[in-house]
Order: sequence, then C-alpha cells, then structure tokens
Amino acid sequence: MKTTKTLAATLLLVGLAIPAQAKLRVVTSLQDLASIAEAVGGDRVETSALARGYQDPHFVDAKPSFILKLSRADLLIVAGLELEIGYLPPLIDQSRNEKIHPGNAGYLDASTGCDILQKPTQVVTRAMGDVHPYGNPHYWTDPENGRVIARTIAARLAEVDPSGKAAFDSNLAAFEARLTAKEREWDAKMAPFAGARIVTFHESWPNFAKRFKLEIVGTVEPKPGIPPSPTHTLEIINLIANEKVGVILVEPYFDRKTPDYIAEKTGCTVVTFYPSVGGIPEINDYFGVFDHDVDAFVKAMIGKGTR
Amino acid sequence: MTAFQILLPAFVASLILTGIHAYLGVHVVERGVIFVDLSLAQIAALGLTVAYLVGYDIHTSHQAYLFSLGFTFIGAAIFAFTRTHRKTRIPQEAIIGIVYAVSAAVAILMMSKATQETEHLKEMLVGNILSVSWYEIGKTAVMYSLIGLFHFVFRRRFLLISLDEPEAERQGVNVRFWDLLFYMSFGFVVTSSVAIAGVLLVFCFLIVPSVAAMLFSERLGIRLAIGWTMGAIVSAGGVALSFVLDLPTGATIVATFGAALLLVGVYRVVARGPATV
Repeated sequence: MKTTKTLAATLLLVGLAIPAQAKLRVVTSLQDLASIAEAVGGDRVETSALARGYQDPHFVDAKPSFILKLSRADLLIVAGLELEIGYLPPLIDQSRNEKIHPGNAGYLDASTGCDILQKPTQVVTRAMGDVHPYGNPHYWTDPENGRVIARTIAARLAEVDPSGKAAFDSNLAAFEARLTAKEREWDAKMAPFAGARIVTFHESWPNFAKRFKLEIVGTVEPKPGIPPSPTHTLEIINLIANEKVGVILVEPYFDRKTPDYIAEKTGCTVVTFYPSVGGIPEINDYFGVFDHDVDAFVKAMIGKGTR
Repeated sequence: MTAFQILLPAFVASLILTGIHAYLGVHVVERGVIFVDLSLAQIAALGLTVAYLVGYDIHTSHQAYLFSLGFTFIGAAIFAFTRTHRKTRIPQEAIIGIVYAVSAAVAILMMSKATQETEHLKEMLVGNILSVSWYEIGKTAVMYSLIGLFHFVFRRRFLLISLDEPEAERQGVNVRFWDLLFYMSFGFVVTSSVAIAGVLLVFCFLIVPSVAAMLFSERLGIRLAIGWTMGAIVSAGGVALSFVLDLPTGATIVATFGAALLLVGVYRVVARGPATV
C-alpha cells in the first residue's frame, strides 16, 4: 500500500498523469463525509478525505497530495459554515479544477438542509458562548444530520453521474435503514441520562447534546484557542458543583491540562469524545463515531445519577 | 495536473524569499540580532489582530495591511532607538525578546476580549507556501526588487553599520537614522514573507544560508553567492521531498535546511580541519 503510494508519487514527480478511471473521484474535507459518501456511492465512487479524524478540522496543514487530489476530483464535499476556511479556499484555487469551484456541480456544501444550531438569526437560548456567523460547523455530531447529508450526497451524485441513480438510491435506502436501527440502539443507551448537564471543552457538541437531550451548561475554553482565565476556570468549577455536572467532554486534539485540573477539583470525569471517523483506528465509519462516544459517555456516567 | 505544476509556485516563491532573505541574513547575523524577524513578525500579527478587531477584513482591506505595516514600523523604531552600544550591558537581543513576548501576549489578551469569532485568526496570519498564488508571487517579486535596489544604492552605509559600527560613528554616520531605515525595510519584507511562507520558513531563509556561508568565507560577495546557491538548492530539494513523502511543505523545507547545514558543517570540518581560514 505504502509502496504503491510512493511509487505513484514518484511517477507523478516525473510528470506522468494518472490514467483516467471510470469511478467518480470524490474528495471530502472530513473523514465523516467520506464515510457517508462511500456508503451512498458504493463501488461507483472512490473517496478520499483531506483531514484525518484525529486532527483539529479547523487547523489542517496542507500537503502537496491535497492539491493533487483536488485537481483530479469530480466532486468535492465540504462541511461548510467556514470550518475549512483556514486552509481549503487557496488549495481549490491552486488545483485549477473548475468543476469543484463553489457554485459548480462538483462542489457540495454538506450543511445544506441540516439542522444547524447557534445561527445568529436563531434565538440563542442558553449561554452557549460566542456566536458563529454561519452557525456551529460541528453539525454532523447529530446522526439525523448524517441522514440529511447522505440524502444530499445521493442527490448530487445522481446529478454528476445520472446512470448511477438507481444504485445511489438503493445504497441510500440501505444506509438510512441501518442508521434508523442504530439510532434506536444509541437512543436506548442514552435515554437514562436525558437531561444530564455536561461541560464541553470546545463549542463542538451542541448537535450531539440536542439529539441525546443533554444540557451543555458551559465550555472550558472561554473562546476557541484562548487559554481559560482564572475567573472563567473558577466559574466552571462552581458551575460543575452547583449543576451536578458529571462529565467534561474533550476532543482528542485539545490540551487536557485545564479539564483534568477542573476534574480533580470537582470529582467529575473527563471523557475523550471523538468527533470524527478516524479519531482512533477502531472508529472506521460514521456509525463507529456514535458507537464509541455513546459507550464512553454511558461508562463515565454510570453511578453518577442523571442530575 | 502534474506534480510539477503543483510545486512550481512554492519553488518560485522560495527562490524570491531566498534572494532577499539571504542578503538581509548577512546583516542580521553580523549584528547579532538573530530573532529580530520573529519579533517583527509578531508585532505585525498584533497589528493585524487590532485591524481585525476594529472590523477590517484582514485579507482584502488595505487598512488592515496598513495596520500591520504601521505596527511593524513602531517595532522598527523601538529597535533603532534602543540600540544600546557597549555602554550599557543590555544586549539588543533582550529588547527583541521582550517585544516578542509582550506583543504575543497582548494579541492573546485582545482576542480573549473580542466579541467576534477569532477561531481562524491564528491560521490566517500565517501563510502556507504550498498555497501561494502567482499573483502574490508577482507582487512580492516587484516589492522585494525595490527593497533590494534601495539596499544596493545605500549598501556602503548599511554594511558599514552592520560590520563595523564604531567606524561608522567615527565617520559621522547617523547610526540611529540608518538603523531605523534598515529595520523599517526589514520589517516590511518580513511581514510580507511571513504572510506567504509562515514564521518558521522565513526564519530559515534568513539565518541558515548566511550561517552556512560564514563557514567558508568572510568576503561578502562570496557569502552572498554561497547563501543564494544553498537557498535555491535546498528549496528545490525540500519542495520535492515534501511531495515524494507527502509531508507539509513549509516544515519539510525547514528540516531540509537543517540537514543541509549539518552536511555543510561536517564537510567544512572534514575537508579543511577545524582551524579558521
């Protein structure tokens, strides 16, 4: 595998173009989107993701292969809502691939039609921190949004490759059926903790919380990338004690020092929550994200009561 | 699209950066103000942060650029006027370090009180050489040629101050004034370069070729020739390596510079023995 890759890269270095393939080449920013596109596209597509699931999706260091993938892509699927603004736009320009420019058929913003939270136009109900201009970009953490994403992708694939419409439709039906069954399983596991109050490190879990009826009462980070001030940390410590918060959810790429410190002072548990496919090798598809996170949550909450 | 097309802009940008930085690096190393570029880049970033918080789009508006340039010139003034000579024992590097730490901290403080989204600000300030556009390359080439011309015209004064400051004072040169001009032009270059290539890479372009050249010669012309040659070869090698191994391009070039310096250093010791020339 690795040898093949190096070989291919070496060939390209000498200036040879990769021969055309019959499969649709789908490039996604996130591995989650690649997983869904693969489920829907089946063997008619060849997917690859730019960011790895263990990387902070806001900060991705561009590699030459990114431009190469983009230049050969038939369809680019992004999370949108400015999640990729830090690295993707110049790479799209660099790829000189007209097809995948925003506005063309080869560019798909997966947030279309999804339940997006924290839009400034929406009434902000709780103290959810600062407001993102287009709403919270971590929307795929609600499996129902995963369903919407799958439908959007199926429709777009059929547009780009009309001869595959029947295949995409039947793949979509299978994906949705599996998702419905899985949702029942996750809901059952999470039901005992409905109404539980939680603290998260970053503003990435409002969709997950809404879906599983959790209440996010605060974030460890006062602002993304800004170290917590002593006042803010103290507020969170008091909040956790007063609101009987059981867990702090932290993504694997954030520094656990402050959450661990808060946990030590309050007795709550810090849980590593993986937002994406590929966060650890065991999470190898979109369903795996919830399988892992739901189990981790349940394990941490056992014996803590719901409130 | 071939690998060549993907990598060409990054390579050409590297050549332009090598051209000006290998020259400025000679001054910086001679003056012993190694970290001055990091410090100026940090002040420029603070300027952009202020512009952003005031409400300018930091990518498209001219005001934002003027903010960062203005802050850089303030930094240049600080460095020119705190030049401490041998009378006080405070080294210039101390001032440079203080300016760096304080401007970095102030930027964090300002972002923490901001009401806007600041999530992407950090990465917006630091460029990635892989995604440089031909327009940026053209613009930078013109600007750096003008700066290069300016330094060429006044080369005797700039070099005299960098190489032999007491002699410059004896000749009645207004050292502070020329220092201000030096740091202003330097700050202008560094600010633009960091926006293209990022802090680490710019630091390497500035220091490594100049240090490698010092291993072999004391003559300025030869040092520049060695620096430029090394910069060009290492840039090409680093860009190609980043493709073959599929690694982030900027960091790969930096590591290649490190390896090249090591090789050159070993060659210098083995070939000529440790004695000085």
